[in-house]
Amino acid sequence: MKTFGILFLSICIVSAQETPDSRERGTSRSKVLELAGAFANDGYKIRDGYWSGVLEPGKPQILEVNLFQGNAYWFCAAALAPARKLSVTLFDENGRPVEGEVFQDGSTAAAGLLPDASGRYFVRLELAEGDKAEFCLIYSYK
Amino acid sequence: MSSRSVISAVALFSAGLLAAAEPLTKEQMKSAVLSESVTIPSPGEFFSAMDEQGQPNWTQMYAPKSAGTTASREQMALMLGVLVADGYIAVEAQDGQGVKNTGKDIINLAKKLNVSQSVISRGNSINDFAENNDWSALREELEATQNEVKLSMAEQKDKDLVILVTVGAWIRGTQVASEFVSKNYSPGLAGLLRQPAIVEYLLAELGKLPDRMQKQPLVAEVEQKLRDILNLVFTKDRTPPAPDAVKDVSATMNSLVNDIAKGNKES
Repeated sequence: MKTFGILFLSICIVSAQETPDSRERGTSRSKVLELAGAFANDGYKIRDGYWSGVLEPGKPQILEVNLFQGNAYWFCAAALAPARKLSVTLFDENGRPVEGEVFQDGSTAAAGLLPDASGRYFVRLELAEGDKAEFCLIYSYK
Repeated sequence: MSSRSVISAVALFSAGLLAAAEPLTKEQMKSAVLSESVTIPSPGEFFSAMDEQGQPNWTQMYAPKSAGTTASREQMALMLGVLVADGYIAVEAQDGQGVKNTGKDIINLAKKLNVSQSVISRGNSINDFAENNDWSALREELEATQNEVKLSMAEQKDKDLVILVTVGAWIRGTQVASEFVSKNYSPGLAGLLRQPAIVEYLLAELGKLPDRMQKQPLVAEVEQKLRDILNLVFTKDRTPPAPDAVKDVSATMNSLVNDIAKGNKES
């Protein structure tokens, strides 16, 4: 939990360094890599693969992933304007929400998890505020 | 950072901890997206979890297979996956020379599959990182190399081979893991092998291959053995596979890796 706290502060600093102008630059992938960089500083390894697409209000996107007990994970997402607020929620293989850490700052969001069992999990990405926008999700583990 | 943004962020952070989301419906789970590059864990991720659950002796476990001579592109693609997993094992063993050797084998095999120059230049990066013992960068580079090989295959209308690279890497990773678990059984370690969703995904993708590929003896063998594995690793209520099941997984994976590495498996 202490580690998550330190990470959270790192994320705050990374987020605070963004200006509205810089948020408009680049792609959703570059934006999400910036967020994930905070976790990399704490030993999290960022997967090279990513999931991207278009997110619309009221139409959450759900991704299936396979996680291992013993690893810690952070799922990070970012969307471009006109998205204003994103949320990332994690669920177990039975569709029950799992407890973990969450971070949310405008159109970037992340959810952290220490799986209590290996297997299938689901990641739900929702556009809480704003309009249809391009998104990108990546994850890191350690 | 302004105090306001900290407070606001802390409030959001805390709210996230307390918020209880509604469970997903069966329809939502069924319609979930499967994206190979994120849905299927990398061998490095698998090995990282093994490190947490046990103390594998990666140096002993790094016993790379060399690719036998074959004209079968399917067999080469499967072997490429095996080699990528070998690269991760060498990284876990912190064996710089091993990483370089495996990196060279990956590039040589990739050349036979006519992948792009950009993949070949990855070999130099692997060497550089290995020279500097930059294990973290090597994990990323190996995954990036694998993804670039797949991209290059897809661009060359060799899209059908892509899933075979993924399958090869998964088979080698599972072989190493199951052998370790069978010798050091614990429910936590055995739980790592409970991957029915991954096996189902791989089988579904293999089922999409053209008939001529599916009929090839090695591809058919891989498909049949993955079906056997599915029965062994599918357990109810998230219980880990039993010791006997782990031994069977290990034996099945050993025989598959040997057959993939064997030269001239008739195609």
